[in-house]
Amino acid sequence: MFRKIRIAPRMALMIIIGAGGILGTVIGYNYVSARGLLLEELQQKSNHLARATAFRIEVTGYAVEKVVQSAAFMLTENEHTVAQQYDLLENLVADNPEIFGAAIAPWPKGEAPYVWRAAPPAQKLLRGDLNEEGYQYDVWDWFALPRDLKRMIWTEPYFDEGGGNALMVTRAAPVWDAEDEFTGVITSDVSLEWLREMLAQLPVGRSGYAFLVSATGVIISHPAGDLIMNESIFSLAEARGSENLRRIGQRMIQGETGFVFFDGLTDTKPAWLAFSPVPSTGWSVGLVFPENELLGVVFDFSRNTLFFGAAGFALLLMLSLLIARSISRPLQQLEAGARTLATGNLDVSLPVVTGKDEVAGLANAFESMRNDLKRYMIDLAQTTAAKERIESEMQIARDIQMSLVPHTFPPFPNRNDMEIYAILEPAREIGGDFYDFYMIDEDELCLVVGDVSGKGVPAALFMAVTRTFLRSIWQEEHSPAATMTRLNRELVRDNDSCMFVTLFCARINLTTGHCVYANGGHNPPFLLHAGKPAMAPPTVKGVVVGGMPDFTFGEGELFFAPGDAIFIYTDGVTEAMNPENALSGDAWTRAQIEKYRDLDCNGMVEAMRKALADYTRGAEQSDDITMLAFRRG
Amino acid sequence: MLQWTHQAQFAGYYMALEKGIYADHGLDVTILRGGPDRDQGEYLRDGRADFATRWLASALKDVSNGIFVRNIAQIINRSNMVLIVWKDSGVAGVHDLDGRRVGVWQGQFRPPFMAFFQAHDIQPQIIQQNYSINLFLQRGVVACTAMYYNEYHMMFQAGIDMEELMVFSLASIDTPFPEDGIYCLQKTLENRPAACRAMAAASLEGWKYAAAHPEETLDIVMQYARGTKVPANRPHMRWMLTVVLSSIFPEYVGDWTVGRLSKEDYSRSVDLLMAHQMITDAPSFEEFVHVP
Repeated sequence: MFRKIRIAPRMALMIIIGAGGILGTVIGYNYVSARGLLLEELQQKSNHLARATAFRIEVTGYAVEKVVQSAAFMLTENEHTVAQQYDLLENLVADNPEIFGAAIAPWPKGEAPYVWRAAPPAQKLLRGDLNEEGYQYDVWDWFALPRDLKRMIWTEPYFDEGGGNALMVTRAAPVWDAEDEFTGVITSDVSLEWLREMLAQLPVGRSGYAFLVSATGVIISHPAGDLIMNESIFSLAEARGSENLRRIGQRMIQGETGFVFFDGLTDTKPAWLAFSPVPSTGWSVGLVFPENELLGVVFDFSRNTLFFGAAGFALLLMLSLLIARSISRPLQQLEAGARTLATGNLDVSLPVVTGKDEVAGLANAFESMRNDLKRYMIDLAQTTAAKERIESEMQIARDIQMSLVPHTFPPFPNRNDMEIYAILEPAREIGGDFYDFYMIDEDELCLVVGDVSGKGVPAALFMAVTRTFLRSIWQEEHSPAATMTRLNRELVRDNDSCMFVTLFCARINLTTGHCVYANGGHNPPFLLHAGKPAMAPPTVKGVVVGGMPDFTFGEGELFFAPGDAIFIYTDGVTEAMNPENALSGDAWTRAQIEKYRDLDCNGMVEAMRKALADYTRGAEQSDDITMLAFRRG
Repeated sequence: MLQWTHQAQFAGYYMALEKGIYADHGLDVTILRGGPDRDQGEYLRDGRADFATRWLASALKDVSNGIFVRNIAQIINRSNMVLIVWKDSGVAGVHDLDGRRVGVWQGQFRPPFMAFFQAHDIQPQIIQQNYSINLFLQRGVVACTAMYYNEYHMMFQAGIDMEELMVFSLASIDTPFPEDGIYCLQKTLENRPAACRAMAAASLEGWKYAAAHPEETLDIVMQYARGTKVPANRPHMRWMLTVVLSSIFPEYVGDWTVGRLSKEDYSRSVDLLMAHQMITDAPSFEEFVHVP
């Protein structure tokens, strides 16, 4: 798919996909992990805060325990006067700065001494009787709950208007005497102002805040003062119709520790809430951190990452485009150059790329290829010219060679006592085969078929020499054997190239049909006598002509009745090769001759030529082919 | 004067004042809050208040104590008293409360519940219940008394789901126990009958306005509550207003007559209070109730 796009955009695309993917992943990972870290920190903060709050309250609690332990005997032993009770309480309150006030409330109801700190800035302790004016102290939680629950309790927090409008909470303990009779309640009032201040000033990001709920979910501390004591987390949930917030509130007052995503306490801005219980009181501290602020922090972080990432990304893209261009520009020029080269214009200017990289190597290779091509073209032009000259010379040579053999048929149109037909087909332009025939006198016909060893120009030249010798010797000797003996002697002389020729030479008296012949190593011809199969003439003494000095050839005799024929050929016929490189062979040749022996000479030779063509099926002709047929009329 | 601190229980009177209904009737009204520290009977007796809202039982007790108050309107005609039980305490029905610790209000609130227990022939262990529901929340008792419009919803706002609670309503023909009515001294009735008439009519009109404009009414209620630093939140006040209104204006015509105390309810209440020695004698219906 990418192959359809050019290199530079492809590289840019891959970098955008690859580096962009990596960048996106990194930013995504950063975002998630930074968010996780922030949330974890928030949760830890809330846990710490809850623990710190609990610790402070526990410390206060210890002071209260002391009050209870110190004052309990006042209720169980009757000999102490109310004045002594006041003194004791005064000492306890004075000694414990955490304690705002303390009371001993007897049961049955009686004078209930109460000592408390005067509203600041006054630095004194006040005394009062909780039972005075018929104040029904036994109906209030601080008295009834420890009595009915039979254990020490923390009351729900309340605002004490007399105590400087401070958030207060009362620790109340029931007292039983030795007879297990309930004798009253001892209380310590503790101001929670410090807690409220601490929570209100607690930094939770820019818009986060801390809040505290009581055991029944009442808001004890919250930056929005209106909510305190008026609302509970459940009333807020109800006002908003938020079942989720109600469930969170239930988890908080059940003392669970949690970290939840919710849609805000008083508004509907999504926020994270971490909450932890404040042990022993049943309260719960909550830390609210708005989601948008959290996201803001993470966004800032991610934005920076994105900025640097994008800058790096752009730089990378630029560099890669530069690299891609440094590759693709010379490549484009090379491509254009190659197209021009392909049209044959070898003088096109190719880009010069310096350096040692692959592109420079390619450009250099192009340059040297162009130079090689140029040189080759010049060589080729010269070679072609030479070849054309040789070819034309060869054509002339062929014409000359062809003119050396008789090529007009019928050669003796006025004679009807014989029939003669021959063809010569050199394998190349010119060849070493030849045939010849001529009338020595009115009755005597001379036939020669020869085959010079080798092919081409040397064979042709040797053939020309042989023919020339043969014609002149024949004029003097008249006998085939004597002619060949003398020809042999002439050819052997100065035969440096060690060439030779096979020859079949016959002299036929057309009147009598008597024939003498000699064979210089040539394929035996086929004698076609009426009523007899094609056969070779009897063997006579003979070797190749031109090979052996002072050789004397033998001579044989034959008789041609009218209608008898002879078919003389060279080994181009029996050694013709088909495409499978199989030779035609003697048996094949004999069978063909038998097939066509009754045709006239022209027909027989042409039929043989066609049979050979059929056999070779277009395979390259491997040797010169010569066929000559003679029939006595 | 109201019989408790500012809350939606008195929304109609606030609206009558704020919307100028009292003024239209020629009345110059100042609303005084009540509360545990103030006794309406004493305020009437001492002339610190001309009119006061009272439960019927409280008013009868006043009469019994020599403060001759008279009913000029009965606003809440249906009892909102309920008994609330922790479902998981093993109590499946009223009878399971026999012998269990049950928080019960004292004084004028007590008789209806005692009658309820008597009617079901059970004897729970009665624990004194005061103003708070914390003893119940902290499981000091398995059941407690509550006003349907107030404590029941406070429990919900303490994070307790309705499914965790079982509610027995005391409202029945046997214990009708009408609640808030408007009272004045016999003396006032004789001296200023027109003002009494105007007070009854304008107050009811105020309630009708409240019923027609609940959100506006809640705004006013919240102003009153915040003004006296009484812990209050709007959802709770809304619940209270809704329940109280349904106790003033009957769902079905004929359940009761709006603003009127019926003779039957009066007689049953008197019988109940006498049976529990809350009062020794009572005025006749005609003497006690005056329809201006």
